[in-house]
Amino acid sequence: MGYAAARGGLDAIEAAENLVRRKRLNADCDWVTPDQIVGRFRLAVDRVMGEAGLWEEELAAIAIRQAEGDLIEAVHLLRSYRSTLPRFAYSEVTDADELRVIRRIVPAFRNPPGPQLLGRTSDYTGRLLELSSEVAGQEEAQLLASLALTQEQHPSQPSGDQQQQQPRRLLETLREMDLMVDRRRLDDPEPFDITRTPARPPASRSARLSSMSRAETGALVNQWYRNILGPDGYLHEVTLGEVRHGYLPLRIVHPITGNPVAIGNIRVTEVEAIEDLNGIEEERDRFDVGYGICLGHNEKKAIAMANLDIACHRDNGRSQIEQSLLLTTDGLDSSGFLEHLKLPHYVTFRSMMERKNAVRQARKNGQPK
Amino acid sequence: MTSLLNDLIDNNESEQFGILDEYSKREIRRAVLTAVAVPGYQVPFGSREMPVARGWGSGGLQITLAVIGHNDVIKVIDQGDDQGVNAVNLRRLIVQSTKVSETTTAAKSSIVQSRHRIPEDGLDQRHILVLQVPVPEPLRGVERDMRELARMHAEADYSKMWVSLYEDKVRNGVITQTTGYPCLVNDRYVIATTPIPRWDIPKLDHSPFLTLFGAGREKRIYAVPPFTKVEPLTFEDVPFEVEKTEGATCSQCGSNSSFLVEIPGAQSRWVCSDTDWCERNLEGNL
Repeated sequence: MGYAAARGGLDAIEAAENLVRRKRLNADCDWVTPDQIVGRFRLAVDRVMGEAGLWEEELAAIAIRQAEGDLIEAVHLLRSYRSTLPRFAYSEVTDADELRVIRRIVPAFRNPPGPQLLGRTSDYTGRLLELSSEVAGQEEAQLLASLALTQEQHPSQPSGDQQQQQPRRLLETLREMDLMVDRRRLDDPEPFDITRTPARPPASRSARLSSMSRAETGALVNQWYRNILGPDGYLHEVTLGEVRHGYLPLRIVHPITGNPVAIGNIRVTEVEAIEDLNGIEEERDRFDVGYGICLGHNEKKAIAMANLDIACHRDNGRSQIEQSLLLTTDGLDSSGFLEHLKLPHYVTFRSMMERKNAVRQARKNGQPK
Repeated sequence: MTSLLNDLIDNNESEQFGILDEYSKREIRRAVLTAVAVPGYQVPFGSREMPVARGWGSGGLQITLAVIGHNDVIKVIDQGDDQGVNAVNLRRLIVQSTKVSETTTAAKSSIVQSRHRIPEDGLDQRHILVLQVPVPEPLRGVERDMRELARMHAEADYSKMWVSLYEDKVRNGVITQTTGYPCLVNDRYVIATTPIPRWDIPKLDHSPFLTLFGAGREKRIYAVPPFTKVEPLTFEDVPFEVEKTEGATCSQCGSNSSFLVEIPGAQSRWVCSDTDWCERNLEGNL
């Protein structure tokens, strides 16, 4: 132990840790509580929960605060926390049709079955930086609070009729019109668990979907875009049939009674992407569909996922899009490996320098080139 | 499930040993056993997220924490140095979460976790060497498609690798592969030797100790069991070459028989990369 201190390695690390900790805890401004982060940085919290694969707003908020706002780092904190916890129950299967929407849009039709419900979106708001004074902002907040406009409806007290809350899917209408390829399978295979088995190509669809669902949002958006405009791959642009954000009930089997019991709701974003099949050997008179779902409100991710899901299916192993999805979109993998370049590499570098000299020596000795 | 819940209640009463929950450790041990049974084969496992980033030894750490027991003595090195920053960090995590004792001398340890080096001396039948692996796939330089890579390993089709080595030799006069030199294990599987220098490759061949390779990010574990043939890929008339610099000796202990790293300057100096070995050599305690 004394040996370690004598060499200074541990001291340097602890000094760096203390510096981070002191500056973070002792920042020259008000303390931030987890509920403030949940309340005011909703989308960041949702994104972190989705990429961590852990639904717990308060823990996500604590992670974001500890990571000083570095969302990938926050995801890492949550994922490694998960590694310490035994898994003692699996939830029952939830039918996505049970989703109670608080937002739902159908770009494919002007008047689809069910509502076009914009909900909480800034899609159509001019991106103008609000430079009003802090006082004015707080006064407005108080006014709104007194009008009770900021109170989101509690999920346990839904309102509106069934068709408003749980609208029929556009997909069902298209199926009735016989416009969809039917890929529904009759068997009910166990879903692939990416946290217990590494997903490698060729993988099942559930492996691809869960990998994308936990993927880093930026990575998935980039994966989508590079297949639109990049040098390799070609991704056909879909028409969105459903973009939904809402609550899904979660049930587990009670360990004593053996009956399913609801243990709460999770919020998810769900997307169905309608694909115009235009390949030579595809069903040109029908559409196909790609699916995306992720924890929290994260439409960019769910849309990219749905489009990549159908793209991957249509690719059918011809290109390496599946490998790209499975292997390159995890935020912990990519950023961890990138940052590992900061570690000492002087043993490998010494070996490289030795080979440079060996090549020169070989040339000097008149060997080829 | 009731009994499972009871198990967990029991578990929670005792302090958690080694970060991972017991089910995860069991899963990793099973992968390790498979790896030992099939030398050189890359066994997939459900790599957990660790308190260190992927690429920073998360695979090695998982193996160490899965195989370690209360009586083990741990040595952790990075580049051969016990005081490298990441070695210090990993050792601290291991020791804090398991309360095992630590050492810098390989012979006094029972488990050595290492990045990029095999200690110069001291490892025998009692030891497990855990190597942190950034890239477990030896063929990635010659093939990108994982489906094809799986086929090549399954059929022991290493022709692309041989062609690549041949082209290297023809173009450059020497084989320029530096660290992580590809080796054939037990006459069957080609492995990536983490990136340990070529200097360390002969130590793997018929070694008395068990070597476990952990790639956390790529979710692979493989092994070289004790007394297993490890043969660097080369041609009959092209001898395998380890790193060597004429006239270089350690500026601290004077050794010219250890793996040396350069300290650049107007007059370059060399020092042993294995800092513990160097100190013992200096003290005459080898």
